This record gives sequence, C-alpha cells and structure tokens, in this order.
Amino acid sequence: MSRTAKRRQSYWRRILGQTFIRWGARLGLLWVGILALVGVFAPFLASSFPLLLSHEGVIRSPVLNYLQPVDVLFLVAFITLLLLYPWQITLLRKFLIMLSVLAVAALFAYLWVKPQQLVIYEQYRVADAAGEYDWVVYAPVPFSPKDYQRDRGDTGLEAPLSQQSRAHWFGTEQNGADVLSRMVHASRIALGIGFVATGIAMLLGIIIGGLMGYFSGVVDILGMRLVEIFEAVPTLFLLLTFVAFFGRSLYIMMVIIGITSWPGYARYVRAEFLRLRKQDFVQAAEAAGLPLPSILFRHMLPNGMGPVLVAASFGVASAILAEATLSFLGLGLVDDPSWGEMLNQAVQSSRFNWWMAAFPGGAIFLTVFAYNLIGESLRDAIDPYLSKSG
Amino acid sequence: MLLSVKQLHTWFQHQGRTIKAVDEVSFEIARGETFCLVGESGSGKSITALSIMQLLPKSNLKRHTGEIHFHAQDEAPVDLAGLSEAEMQQVRGGRIAMIFQEPMSSLNPVFTIGEQILEAVRLHFPELSEGEAWQRVLESLEAVQLPDPQTRVHSFPHQLSGGQRQRVMIAMAMACEPDLLIADEPTTALDVTVQREILRLMKTLQQRTSMAILFITHDFGVVCQIADRVGVMQRGKLVETGDTEQIIHRPGHSYTQALIAALPENLARNQPHEQRADQMPLIRLSRLEIHFPVRKGLLRRVVDQVRAVDGVDLEIPRGEILALVGESGSGKTTLGRGILRLTEPTAGRVAFDDTDITEMNRSQLRRFRRHMQIIFQDPISSLNPRLSIAAILTEAMKVHGIGENQEARIEIARDLLDQVQMEEDTLWRYPHEFSGGQRQRIGIARALSLNPSFIVCDEITSALDVSVQAEILRMLLDLRAKHGLTLLFITHNIGVVEYVSDRTAVMYQGKIVEQGRTEDIVNRPSNRYTQQLIAAVPRVPV
Repeated sequence: MSRTAKRRQSYWRRILGQTFIRWGARLGLLWVGILALVGVFAPFLASSFPLLLSHEGVIRSPVLNYLQPVDVLFLVAFITLLLLYPWQITLLRKFLIMLSVLAVAALFAYLWVKPQQLVIYEQYRVADAAGEYDWVVYAPVPFSPKDYQRDRGDTGLEAPLSQQSRAHWFGTEQNGADVLSRMVHASRIALGIGFVATGIAMLLGIIIGGLMGYFSGVVDILGMRLVEIFEAVPTLFLLLTFVAFFGRSLYIMMVIIGITSWPGYARYVRAEFLRLRKQDFVQAAEAAGLPLPSILFRHMLPNGMGPVLVAASFGVASAILAEATLSFLGLGLVDDPSWGEMLNQAVQSSRFNWWMAAFPGGAIFLTVFAYNLIGESLRDAIDPYLSKSG
Repeated sequence: MLLSVKQLHTWFQHQGRTIKAVDEVSFEIARGETFCLVGESGSGKSITALSIMQLLPKSNLKRHTGEIHFHAQDEAPVDLAGLSEAEMQQVRGGRIAMIFQEPMSSLNPVFTIGEQILEAVRLHFPELSEGEAWQRVLESLEAVQLPDPQTRVHSFPHQLSGGQRQRVMIAMAMACEPDLLIADEPTTALDVTVQREILRLMKTLQQRTSMAILFITHDFGVVCQIADRVGVMQRGKLVETGDTEQIIHRPGHSYTQALIAALPENLARNQPHEQRADQMPLIRLSRLEIHFPVRKGLLRRVVDQVRAVDGVDLEIPRGEILALVGESGSGKTTLGRGILRLTEPTAGRVAFDDTDITEMNRSQLRRFRRHMQIIFQDPISSLNPRLSIAAILTEAMKVHGIGENQEARIEIARDLLDQVQMEEDTLWRYPHEFSGGQRQRIGIARALSLNPSFIVCDEITSALDVSVQAEILRMLLDLRAKHGLTLLFITHNIGVVEYVSDRTAVMYQGKIVEQGRTEDIVNRPSNRYTQQLIAAVPRVPV
C-alpha cells in the first residue's frame, strides 16, 4: 500500500469530507468560492477601462495601468494558493509560505506599482465612440465603481436594464455609479474583514486560551478575568468611538473587531486543553519525555481545534455583519463602496429604489448564511455522535 | 413459559450494508428463573433485550421480525411484536422492567429519587392515593436495603454512591412488581464488593416475588453466581443454551469452549519467577505521599487534602511483575502515575535503580523517561487520533536519539509492530481504523519503542473482551521474558492477577494493606480487607 494512498485517511480529510457531504455546506462553500473569485478578479470584472484594445495596430491593455497595489496583492495571493494546493506538505508549512510570499509581494507592490494618477473614466469610451480603435474588449461590467455618470448629465437612480445603450444590470445609485460594479468591488471588503478580523481573534484566543488551559492555576484565574473584561466591551460602541477619534479606516475596523471577539475562542481552547490535559495520549506523550512545544502543538492543539473552527466560521459571518452595520450607519469607509454603505444609500434617497436595497442586502444575507451553513456542517462533522459515516 | 422468543431477527442498515445484530434467536424464560445472556462486545446481547422491549431506533432498522410471546400472571398471553405503541407502554415498566449499566445516567439528576420512583408507581397504579403511592415508594426503597430510606428518599442522584444508585434503579424497576426484569450489565460499573451485594439483593428479591430475570453480562464469574440457565451469543446468533453448570464445565459449542478457555482462571499458569535475592529491587518507594489539595472560596485557600496515596513503601524486584489491586478510588492509578512523576508526589522518595527520581529537575526527568513507560486502560483515548501509527511510534524515539534517521526508526517501528503481532501496513494507518485490542497492541509497541526497563500497565485489559484479554496477557508475558521487563500491573481483576503476576500488593484508601507472593495473597489473605475483597470476587469454579 503506497504512502500517499493511505494519507487520505488523515483526520482533517475525514472531517472535511464529512462536512462537505452535506448539501448546505457545499452550497455555502460554492457561494464563498464565487465571492473569492469575484473579489480577486474585481478590477477585470468591473472596470471602465477596456481589458484589451488595438490602437493603430498596437495592442494595449489600459486596465493594467490603473491596477492598485492591493489588486496586485490579491492576484499574487490567489496564484500562490493555486500553486500550493497540490503540494504535499503540512498545512502549517503551506500557511507560512503563503505569509512570506504575501509579505514580499506587499513590499514590491507598494514600491513599484504606480497606478496612473489622473483617472478619466470617459476617455476610452469617447475615443471608442469616435472610432479611434480597431477593436476593443471591455470588462463584463464596463463601469468602474466610482465612475459617476451624473458628472456627465446622466440622472442616476436608473432601474436595472432600463436603458438600451448603457445597460446597468443592477441599475445605478444616486450619483449614477453602476450598482453591480460597486458590489463586485465591495465583496473584497466583506471577505477581507471577515478573514482578517477572525484571524486576529483566533490567534489571540488560541494563545491566551491555550496558556490558561495548559498551565491552569493562577494563569487560568488571571486569564479568565481578562476574558470577562473583554467580553464586557461592546464592540459596536468601541468601533464608533475609534472611528470618531481616528477617522474611518478598514484596518482599524479589522483590528478592533479582532481584539474584541477573541474571548469566545479563548474559552473554547481553554476548555479543550483542560480536557485534553487529562487524556491518556497526552499523558503518554509526557511519559515519553517529549518536549513541551511538541505536546502543545502536535498533541493538544490539533485535537482541540474543532470547536474553534466552528466558532470561527460563525465569527466570519458576524465580522461581516459588524462592518455592514457600521457602514450602514454611515461610519464605514469614506470613499470605497461596501455593501452596508450601499444599503445606507438605498435608505437615504427620497424614493425607494428596490435595486439599491435588494442586491447588496441579498449579498450580505447570502454570505452570512453561507458561513453559517459551513459552520453548522462543520459542527455536525466534528461531533462523533452525529457522524454520517460512522 | 413466561417469555418465549422465536426466530427473532433484528437487522440494521448502515452505509448500504446490512448488519445482522440479532439473527434467528430463540429462547425461553420460565417464571422465577434467571436466564443469562453472555457474549463479547458486539454480539447482540443488548439489542436482543431492546428488541424484546420494542425500544429499537426506528431510523435504520431494516428487518425486525419474530415472535415474542409474553405470558404475564393473570393475563392472556400476548405477542409483544404485534402490540401497538400504546399497548406496549403498558407492558414496559409494568410487566417488564429494565435496568441499565450506568446508574448515574439512567437517573434524572434534577429530581429526587423519591419523585422518580413515585412517577413510575403512579403511572402503573393510577388508582392509588397520594399517601399509598408514597408508602409504596418507601417500601420499595426498603426492599432494596437502602439504608435510612425515610431521609434518602429526598436525596438527589448525585448524593448517592454508584451502588446506592443501582439500588434505586432496582427499586424503581421493582416498584411496579414486574414479571420480568431485564438487567443489562447492571454491575459492570461497580466495584466487586458492591457487585456482590447487588447480585445478592437481586437473588433475594427474585425469591420473594418469583419474577424472572434476563441478565446480560460478559463476565462468566457473575454468570456462575446468578444464572440458572445461560445463552451464549456470538455475532448475533445464539450459539448455545443450557444449564449454567453444563455450559461452564461441558460447553458443547466450539465458541463457548474458546470463551471459557480464555478466562484468566483457565489459562495455563505462569511459571513462578525464580527469586534472585541478591539483586537490588529496580523500583523502591519510601513513604510516598500524593495529596490533592481541596480549595474553596474566592481566594482558593486550601481547606483539606485528599490523601490519594498516603505513605506507601513498596519494592519491585527487577524482572518481576507486581500486581497492584484495589477498588476504585483506592489510589492505585495515582500511585502508578506518581512513580513516573506524571503526577507530582507530595512527599517521599521514588528510587529507580538507585537514582532518585523525585530529585530530578524537568530536563533531567525528560531524558530519564525513556527508562520507564506507561500503558493505559482506555484504548480509545490513549492514541492521538491525528497522527499516523508511524508518527506515534517514532516520535519519542527521535526525541531520545534512537535510530540514526527516520528510515532507521521506521525499521525499528516495523519490528515493534511485528513483536506485538500487528501487520506491517499498520504503520501508515490512523488509530480510528483499529479495534480496541489492536490499539492496545499499538499502545504496548509505543511503550516498548524507547526500550524501557520498567512499564506501568494501568488496567490495560479492563476494556477488552476475554478472548482479546487472553491474547494480550500472553503476549505481554512473552515480551517480559524477551526484554527482561519489570512491570507494575494495576488491575481489579483477581483472575488476571493470578495469571500474570509474581507478587501482589493490595491497596485500600491510599495505603498498601498487604503485600506478598500472589499465591499467598489470593489463597491465604491475612488482612481483613483483603479477605473481603477476595471473597467478593465472582469466581468461575475450575
């Protein structure tokens, strides 16, 4: 029997297999996957700049000139992920490689990628209409999120597909920007805030909870008091305060959501470690004289991760909701579109424009729902009493 | 006949496979008789009981056929299989009562025991007044010899000991004067002395009320004490039925013969280890104490000490097997872990071949651990479910510098698996793919991987079936001889003690009350507690 064939039996593969046997989890994963792809390729999916054009026999790609460093970073991350996936190494190593690639890419992107400063959205459309180009390939949604049509006399607030010439699939908002394009670009914020905030919370929770659970005694007592203090902090109001003091920044939001939601994870990890500490295989590892890091990270942590992962998938959902709430209150990002902020726009306009509420609202609903579905299945898969393949 | 089961089939559907949990089982139970169903785990004993009670899970039931004729006193005979759910409820608890293995989880923790028995009484005797029903509750508690029933009737389940809870369960079952009592391993979770009392109680109650008992167990000792007739089950089939005496002494079926032969009482006796008086003992404990502080209040002040191990002096000669026996809570497991310093001793010394373990610091101790290992009771939790067997076996070797590289270590692991009679491809598999006995073998291989001279075996065969137990014990003795191991064998099974050990120490409330050669302890105990303990052990007459 070959080694790789047997590898497939490992615990996480079994758990993931069982999670995605369930239809809910598959649909959830599908939606999150679509969202991730849309987020990564947002500048190519929705942009006023043509993807390719031929000008006097020379083929150019104007969209590349306007790529932001962040766009490049997303692409690098995606490609690295694709390359790493089939590689047979441990998850931890993959994660570390991913992190280092991202760090290097971030450095180079911010040093070298200089997007064109002067942005004239109309430039290529006008030139195309004047017949300057041989042929032009536009993005599927040929409008950038901040391509405000009202500046050029359009009325804004067009219903979906109400005009023949410049078709807006999901309509436009009051400034005349395309709703679909704004949603495509906003999907990044939703995904980013969910993952980064939950990542920060998980890291803090695992470290603090692990220390409390393994050492117990005084460390545990102090840790629990810290947990209680942080649980008493109302995240939303702290966010409001920080926005008032330090202005609106996505990164501050991520950090605040992260450092106020770790206590839940810490409680889970602590409880798991207290339980595992008494398990025979941990005692056996200790009896074999294994060093402390090996006992903690090889024998205890992987066995205690189940409940944390379940909590994390719900945590991602609630982080997305927190950001949406903040943006809806008008305290989100200043310039960039986000789903919550779009809902806010829908409410503020004098007349109820259904397309401005239904599409972003639906996206928030589906995303939160998708994460909850995954979390639910993961919980069932980890619970040995509910396991589908006994 | 009170109960006659004919051609009972209970099949389950699981992942597209049909599992014949009960297959063509037929037997009869007469009024006032005790019928024992014995068999190893998974043989279908419990499912047979649940089939009679019509308590099977409906979701994956594939086939449930057969006749279950039940003829209660003063009533017309009925076929339980044909009854509606409402009619069956009248029979359940009223005519047939059932008690289970785990008395804690079968009682509801939020009601007093009196309220729980009262509920059962009122359900089946609705004509009784409040006072009469309550009177009946008290009578039933008296009948099961619960001390001081007037006050105990108001206690909650957690305030009672395991044996007392089982008495309450029996009282609840008996309150409605059933014709048949189904007891599913009722004494397995109890200590031997408590078990003896419960079995005695069941016999007394049976003589008084002439009810029949269907007793399910895996323990032939218990069978000999209580059964009139015995049925042996194997993989869903009832392979043999007969009188107790006949089954024990003249088993007809080959499977029954194998089961009886695998009992530790019947295994070929261990050759007594020749004494080498000149040698130093390998392990020497002097005045070892392990106390656990009881903390209370906001400041977690120490208000009391639990003296789990209370001043133990013990010597284990090199190359011998010392059995440590005692009831649950006597401190034997704590002592075993204290010797390895997995639990820190409070006071006293543990000398390992003249080296004082208690004085070592953390890193010295970690290096020293390769000389002493431990094997655990529970085969499920003793192996890390996330690691392959290869990783489990080689990890400790790597830390202690055994084997030059991973290939060499894998080679050693392969050899170890061969010694515990496991296949080579075990290496690349994960713990969940193995049965309890196989996991226990892997646990033994892991303990041997560091080539230790001393191993603590903590109840290593308690969770296993007798036939598997026999194989593991035989293998352990071979390995002992081959590697010159010294073993501390912690167990509560006197049969195993006799088979495996050279010397025995009896532990009671944290102290060693008696120690000596196993023969002497088992046949001529001098201490009063030891005498009680040995007398309570259900034995199969050889």
